[in-house]
Amino acid sequence: MKKQRTLLKLFFILCLLVFISGMSVFAQKSPKDKFIFPTLNPINMPKVETVKLKNGMKLFLVEDHEYPTIDMRAMVRVGSVFEPTAEIGLASITGSVLRTGGTTSMTGDEIDKELETMAASVSTGIGQTSGYIMVSVLKEDINRALEILADILMNPVFQEDKIRLAQIQQKTAISRRNDDIGGIAYREFDKIIYGKDSPYARHPEYVTIEAVTRDDIVGFYKKYFYPNNTTVAIWGDFEIKDMIARVKKNLEKWEAAKVEIPPLPKVSYEFKYTVNFIDKPDVNQSNILLGHIGGLMDNPDYPALSVMNSILSNERMFKKIRIDEGLAYSVWGRYGAGYQVPGAFSCGAQTKSESTVYAIELMLKELKKIREEDVTDEELAKAKDEYLNSFVFNFDSKAKVVNRLMTYDFFEYPLNFMEKVKKGIEKVSKKDVRRVAQKYLRPDKVQILVVGKKESFDKPLSTLGEVNVIDIKIPPLKSKKKK
Amino acid sequence: MFVKKRFLLQLALFIAVVALVSLSLQAQTFETIKSQVKVHVLKNGMKFIVLERHEAPVVSFHVYADVGSANESYGITGISHLLEHMAFKGTKIVGTKDYKAEAKILEEMDALYDQIKREEAKAKTNSEKIKEMEEKFETLRKNAKEYVATDEFVDMLMKEGDRGINAYTSTDATQYINSLPSNKLEYWMSMTSDRFLNPIFREFFKERDVVMEERRLGLETRPMGKLVEDFTAAAFKAHPYHHSVVGHMSDLEKITRKDVGDYFKKFYGPNNLTVGIVGDVKTEEVFKLAEIYFSRIPSGPKPEAVRTIEPEQWGERRVIVEAKSQPIVIMGYHCPDARHKDIRSLEAMANIIGQGRSSRLYEVLVKDKKVAVAAVSVSGFPGDKFSNLVVFYAVPSRGHTSAECLELIDEEIEKIKKESVTPEELTKFKRGEVKGILDQMKSNSRMAALLTYTDVVLGDWKLMFDQIEEIRAITAEDIKRVANKYLVKKHKTIGEIVYEK
Repeated sequence: MKKQRTLLKLFFILCLLVFISGMSVFAQKSPKDKFIFPTLNPINMPKVETVKLKNGMKLFLVEDHEYPTIDMRAMVRVGSVFEPTAEIGLASITGSVLRTGGTTSMTGDEIDKELETMAASVSTGIGQTSGYIMVSVLKEDINRALEILADILMNPVFQEDKIRLAQIQQKTAISRRNDDIGGIAYREFDKIIYGKDSPYARHPEYVTIEAVTRDDIVGFYKKYFYPNNTTVAIWGDFEIKDMIARVKKNLEKWEAAKVEIPPLPKVSYEFKYTVNFIDKPDVNQSNILLGHIGGLMDNPDYPALSVMNSILSNERMFKKIRIDEGLAYSVWGRYGAGYQVPGAFSCGAQTKSESTVYAIELMLKELKKIREEDVTDEELAKAKDEYLNSFVFNFDSKAKVVNRLMTYDFFEYPLNFMEKVKKGIEKVSKKDVRRVAQKYLRPDKVQILVVGKKESFDKPLSTLGEVNVIDIKIPPLKSKKKK
Repeated sequence: MFVKKRFLLQLALFIAVVALVSLSLQAQTFETIKSQVKVHVLKNGMKFIVLERHEAPVVSFHVYADVGSANESYGITGISHLLEHMAFKGTKIVGTKDYKAEAKILEEMDALYDQIKREEAKAKTNSEKIKEMEEKFETLRKNAKEYVATDEFVDMLMKEGDRGINAYTSTDATQYINSLPSNKLEYWMSMTSDRFLNPIFREFFKERDVVMEERRLGLETRPMGKLVEDFTAAAFKAHPYHHSVVGHMSDLEKITRKDVGDYFKKFYGPNNLTVGIVGDVKTEEVFKLAEIYFSRIPSGPKPEAVRTIEPEQWGERRVIVEAKSQPIVIMGYHCPDARHKDIRSLEAMANIIGQGRSSRLYEVLVKDKKVAVAAVSVSGFPGDKFSNLVVFYAVPSRGHTSAECLELIDEEIEKIKKESVTPEELTKFKRGEVKGILDQMKSNSRMAALLTYTDVVLGDWKLMFDQIEEIRAITAEDIKRVANKYLVKKHKTIGEIVYEK
């Protein structure tokens, strides 16, 4: 009886609620209710046009009429790995002075002024294994921007004073390179992994910057900057046909030449366990990096490694070291993979000096664990869902699509590389994750680097093994005479 | 010489044409977008600003809480940012295996923590008693952890494809962002309304440790971080812009869970939240769902505005940070808040003096005299909701000093007070602003951020589009006037890094 009355009362209250607030009470879902998602609207795949000009320059174009702007990004086959050992910094200086050093018709300063007055930007630079050129402009200024771009690429004069300026900037950067602990850690970790003289880790010194002459710069430019060595992506508010004509008008007179690209330097790596330390007595937090060599993206195991990375970083390192232990703000572990050059496998964290060794021990423990035990079903499902459900963001702008295609083409990867990785990820199993963890992670052979204040460490670093102290003193240009 | 003349002629011609024609062209683009923005305010005061953008089946969300470190008082500095971290810890539904059991332990922990702190504050402390209580506290913490579904709030969103999940705290605001496939609109509504209706600040003490690590990482191990903290503290002696967003270490060590709860109650009422949603959604559906999910959050009084106003500065201030670092110098003058009528002209002034390769500071300090490798000026530091600073900073080249840089910056400041800026310089600023807004509008997330910022700080989202008119109207005379009004020696603060021997 009592029960029935309660039910009746409940029914009455419910009716009242519905009356008061419309359907909303019933329409509202709690986060843990089952959601049936509507079908996602289709992705409008932009039409990307590919053209090769007579001089061998390759273009990838896509129209994007949403806003009245036009952008370009070009990649050039060049890199600091090709600069001579005595002139480390040559590539970087060439890359910046190409843009700042003027042309046969305008000084660098005039170019700066004209571009900025029309809110346009043109920038150039040379990295380790590729160079870039970027242009961003309001639509109505595209003709003038292309003229300036062509002038820069074809007729650069590398003014002496801008070379000097670039050298001053490089030398200033050298003088400041030990001011920030993070910069020290990344720089020295690369040297530990690739070798201190490796083209993939070495860095300029005062003497190598001083050694760079204008002739060297012109020579370096003349060796690599040709249209047949350049690939360009263009996106924005234009008609493709019209844009091709404009590019042709300005850049087809850029003459092709036979370019000899040296083979990329080989990476040779010997697995070993080392403990390395850099003393920084003025900080209260240690910067920790540990790892070994990584691999290439075209490895068939790359999808499984990607899933492993996600679990290792987000599920294991982050949850254990940051959330549970509160030891670090940022912490990760990932097997790095490059297009052409092996990446590094690295784990990192920054923790107060007093928990330095403890944090390292926890990181190593997680590395061992992912090799010794299968990941859980939930971890696997989450890592895959994350990737697959956010896949649509790879297409959320036309700029992303066209740049990706150009990059794949530049590094000679299949243009559908990302779709292939996606298919691979769909198939990854727990066994795969364990298998790649065992195959590629070597917790017994990691190289550990700690930058920090050793007096405050929880335990001496030597508890981890014999400590190799790295000297980061900056070599002076000339030995100073004693006063 | 011939080359140069032709160039100048071309430039003059070009500027005459673009300055007249083109800004009005861009203005049309802005008008079109403006007409597509729709606003809906719930009865509890929560505001939703929506812009449909169907480029791709994705949508970005931006929850702008009108509270930042400027709302903090002594003893709780850093609490806005700590609360931002705690807002990822879940709710009564998310992040827990058994909320009732968990809540009981959390309360016990709070009480015990208070006892420990009271004992520690005594003139004569009983260290044995403290140790005993601390051990008990650790046991409770471990017990509570048994009920935690670690990071479930973030996991649930990321599993559904959230690629933008993050949050930021500044002096002026705390902002929560998400980006999801657009068919998950309702899921976001459900998760986010629960987040701000029933937040549970679990795992509080460990997260406080994380924030302390963040302070060490961003501020204490970086010479530039130390400089900015001390420089800002010197420039603001009374207004809460005085302290850094991350807060003082000693406050972080003592803020309690209850402090955070009280702060949440005070500042996270629905009338203090503004939501920007940009992407592949239907505006009507967004508003309907907003009513269903967010109108259940009870309304409350609007939090009191910050009382303290920075008093007039009585003379130049100078701070020195000793660090194992090469020199860096920063200098600032007091300026009004973002709503003030002079603000656009001040922005123009900062742009002309110190933004870009053709700016005055770059031309003189970097290119010509080569005493610096960077020389920049920006307005609106450290925030712009309250009166703030226009700052000038320089990174001296190797072998050069801060003093040399300061002297040259001073010369440029005197120059802009006496001589009019050129038409080219004005055009550079005006066109640059337009290009900058267009570039931001290309991203759903940045557009959502811009709409909420403009609405909260400037008072109306429409100003985001209307400012183009204000920008067009700026004259060389305006810039000279604001330079003389605000770049006053008495109102200057200088901060320097000096190498610690």
